[in-house]
Amino acid sequence: MENHRLIYPFTAIVGQEDMKKALILNIINPKLNGVLIRGEKGTAKSTAVRALIDILPVREQVVDCIFSCDPRDYSSLCENCKKILEEDIKIKKEKMRVINLPVGATEDRVVGTLDIEYAIKSGEKKFEPGILAEANRNILYVDEVNLLDDHVVDVLLDAAAMGVNSIEREGISYTHPSKFVLIGTMNPEEGDLRPQLIDRFGLVVDVYGERCQDSRVEVIKRRLGFEDNPHKFIKEYENQQKNLAERIEQAKDLLDKVEYSEECLRLAAEIAIKIGVDGHRADITFIKTAVTHAAYRGEIKVNKEDLIAAAKLSLPHRMRRQPFEEGVIDFQQINELIERTIM
Amino acid sequence: MFNNCFPFSAVLGQEKIKMALILNMINPYIGGVLISGEKGTAKTTLVRGVSNVIDYMNVVELPLNITDDRLIGSIDIKKAIVNGEKTFEEGILYKAHNQILYVDEVNLLSEHIVNILLEVLSTGTNIVEREGISYRHPSRFILIGSMNPEEGILRPQLLDKFGLYAEAKGEIDLNNRIEIIKRYIEYENNPSEFLLKWKEENEKIGSLIDKGRAIIKNIKIKDEDYYFAVDLCKNGNCSGNRAEIILIETAKAIAAFNQREYITENDIKIAATYVLPHRIRESITFEELEEPLDKDALEDNACNGDYESIDSHDLDRPKEDIETDTKEDDIKENIEDIVPYNNEISINMDFRKMTSNQGSGKRTKVKANSSKGRYVRCKIPRGKVKDIAFDATFRIAACNQKNRNKNGLAVCIKPQDIREKVREKHTGATILFAVDASGSMGAKRRMGAVKGAVLSLLRDAYQKRDSIGIVAFRKDKAEILLNITRSVDLAEKYLRKLPTGGKTPLAAGLYTSYQVLKADKIKNPDSLQYLVVISDGKANVSLETENPLEDAFNLGMKIRNEGIKTMVIDTEKNYIEYGFAKELAEKMDSEYIKINQISKSDIETSIKNLLNINQ
Repeated sequence: MENHRLIYPFTAIVGQEDMKKALILNIINPKLNGVLIRGEKGTAKSTAVRALIDILPVREQVVDCIFSCDPRDYSSLCENCKKILEEDIKIKKEKMRVINLPVGATEDRVVGTLDIEYAIKSGEKKFEPGILAEANRNILYVDEVNLLDDHVVDVLLDAAAMGVNSIEREGISYTHPSKFVLIGTMNPEEGDLRPQLIDRFGLVVDVYGERCQDSRVEVIKRRLGFEDNPHKFIKEYENQQKNLAERIEQAKDLLDKVEYSEECLRLAAEIAIKIGVDGHRADITFIKTAVTHAAYRGEIKVNKEDLIAAAKLSLPHRMRRQPFEEGVIDFQQINELIERTIM
Repeated sequence: MFNNCFPFSAVLGQEKIKMALILNMINPYIGGVLISGEKGTAKTTLVRGVSNVIDYMNVVELPLNITDDRLIGSIDIKKAIVNGEKTFEEGILYKAHNQILYVDEVNLLSEHIVNILLEVLSTGTNIVEREGISYRHPSRFILIGSMNPEEGILRPQLLDKFGLYAEAKGEIDLNNRIEIIKRYIEYENNPSEFLLKWKEENEKIGSLIDKGRAIIKNIKIKDEDYYFAVDLCKNGNCSGNRAEIILIETAKAIAAFNQREYITENDIKIAATYVLPHRIRESITFEELEEPLDKDALEDNACNGDYESIDSHDLDRPKEDIETDTKEDDIKENIEDIVPYNNEISINMDFRKMTSNQGSGKRTKVKANSSKGRYVRCKIPRGKVKDIAFDATFRIAACNQKNRNKNGLAVCIKPQDIREKVREKHTGATILFAVDASGSMGAKRRMGAVKGAVLSLLRDAYQKRDSIGIVAFRKDKAEILLNITRSVDLAEKYLRKLPTGGKTPLAAGLYTSYQVLKADKIKNPDSLQYLVVISDGKANVSLETENPLEDAFNLGMKIRNEGIKTMVIDTEKNYIEYGFAKELAEKMDSEYIKINQISKSDIETSIKNLLNINQ
């Protein structure tokens, strides 16, 4: 974004490794379907999401397209871009963006609405795109996602599920692509999120305040350092930020080359059956996460480490809980299973 | 938009859903299908994919947030302004004619839209009388809905309109699960190639449907087929005659699918597994009325060998109870784990008596006065306009542009054109649980059952987006365990940790509950309030008078007089019962249930029984 507000560097966040990893994996592979970060106040949830801006990759998009269409993928183009002849498409390179969905957002702002000015001036109906249009191919960030109005959540769910936003309201009939990485943060003390919505998040991480004294001290030190002299602080982390951004770019390129054995698939299915999950999203996300993790490590073969990391991020929230049992997975058991199956 | 979606034929398993969809393609008179199932089971994928199997039908989607003008159609604004003519611009119902109309998450659809749908479904015609337009067109479509029952139930009228019912379940076979992951990832990596690979399979299904459609008119139905169908429906206590008719239509489709020109008894039986599940009404059998927990309690007593001692102990209450309870007081506290409650209980509230109507739960759907909620239609405003419905205003204005001075703009809007938005919102309830955690509840592991029952109610509360709170009473006082919140998880956590032991200050429990609910009423004046008292009623700590029971009864009546609806769950399970809880329930005008009462029977088993009867 053309926003030069000073942002706390992602790499300067102390601890919270799972959260950072989940975010990075989603940037590398947007098909992971987002991440939900649950935790108490003051655990750097929002800071981490906002800090992503710095390390987001650059990608190609069609010039002047509000949906940031991907010129290389014809089937995903919006109506307008489809009309342009292939050789006439202008392409520019731009960074992936983080789009904010405020908790108070009204439904018409989210899905888009009738362009009032245009209607009065020309007497014609025109679609005015909303947040879901902007979010296409970007990150959609919802802070306090559990406090969102129910009917807005329903719309969000719908779009997240099919990657398409269909509008049939206020005299407007319009359909446009809306594929986004959904990132939500919430404080579980303030209320729950419906299981249906939780399931749509590919990964879920629970964050806690750092318990170790040294890390806590380090957190304060860095925060004060940043507030004291942000420019200097950001400079100090410049190299680390650049390295991470590069690593993400490399991982993106590697993603298609990563291979996994038949055993990995068997393992995914076995775990899913063992812990009893609803539907099949768990297995599929598990494999995709492991693949992405391997790419992040710079490898092209999925190994144990990848599988263990994937299990931790993609499974806990998908366990079927009867009736309202504690959603605790026996990780020992899963790790043993992984050890046993994968040589 | 769905040309690129996952191919129908590549979905592994979910045979019932696939079949239900195919049967509907063969015979549109079946009247659609409702697909119910947990998340992530290819419900939506299958519906979207079906339009790629045959080319003469499209899937028209009805988004949840549709407004009524787009559903039924409205005036064509451009023509109204430019030519001054009133012409009709079609809505979704027009587009859906002779096509498939698909509603994802159909259980979340707004009330007003459901009403329109019901009307069109029964007449097959869309009649438009609005904005000076008078228009009608046929609108017959195959209605397909999908829903996750966790999110709430469907209105019975709409449920009955769905011809068939099919349930989606996750695959449990290991190899199939592996195959599912493989196919999905393969698809995601290269959709067009994957589509090509499955094209032939898709075409095979398509030709089966074509053949079925060609033959269906020739199918003969024998008299005995009718009788058999009627018999099945009668045994299932189905209301109305729709079930029989759909049963025959479905059987016809099954026969046509198998290239037969007659239907067999087996066809009807298979059809019944699709047609009847959502139509069978419970007939309570005597087995179900037996109370398994009660039997356990009796056995417990029998094992002890002496009914006498237990009973006499209880009979001497309250004096002796106080003694024993005090003895146990601080020494013997135990935390019981939750014993899963096998039956679903839900709170039925009679809302006709209630007048309040705002909030964001799901108990009822009402018109919201604030500018929150889902915009479904418009109205002529009364008084000051707060929430202008521009699209509607624009349409009205468009019809009247001829004689207006437009100042260079295309449209001139006058005050009389202005319309306001009507929004719909869910009203939730506030449910407070008053849980007896005294020593007597700890006896014979009663508390575990209580916790299970409360959790079952909590789950129901979750579905309906209610707010909940817990008050526990034991020893000499009542304690607010959890103030009114919407977090069911939190409630569960507190409940799990709730220890038992001590005396029974029922009156204090009621008093605290009363205070909590009053405070909540100030904050949320529109929410419906409900108090669930879970106790055996054996009060032995008084609040005002000497008589603990009298105190409790008095407070009970006070709560009743405040208009708070109540439910008493009686946990008394002894050989000889005092019925104090029942008395309290009568005093409070409550719904009364015993902890181990059965309230719901299993649909699956009843249909199986039904089919066996007729074999």
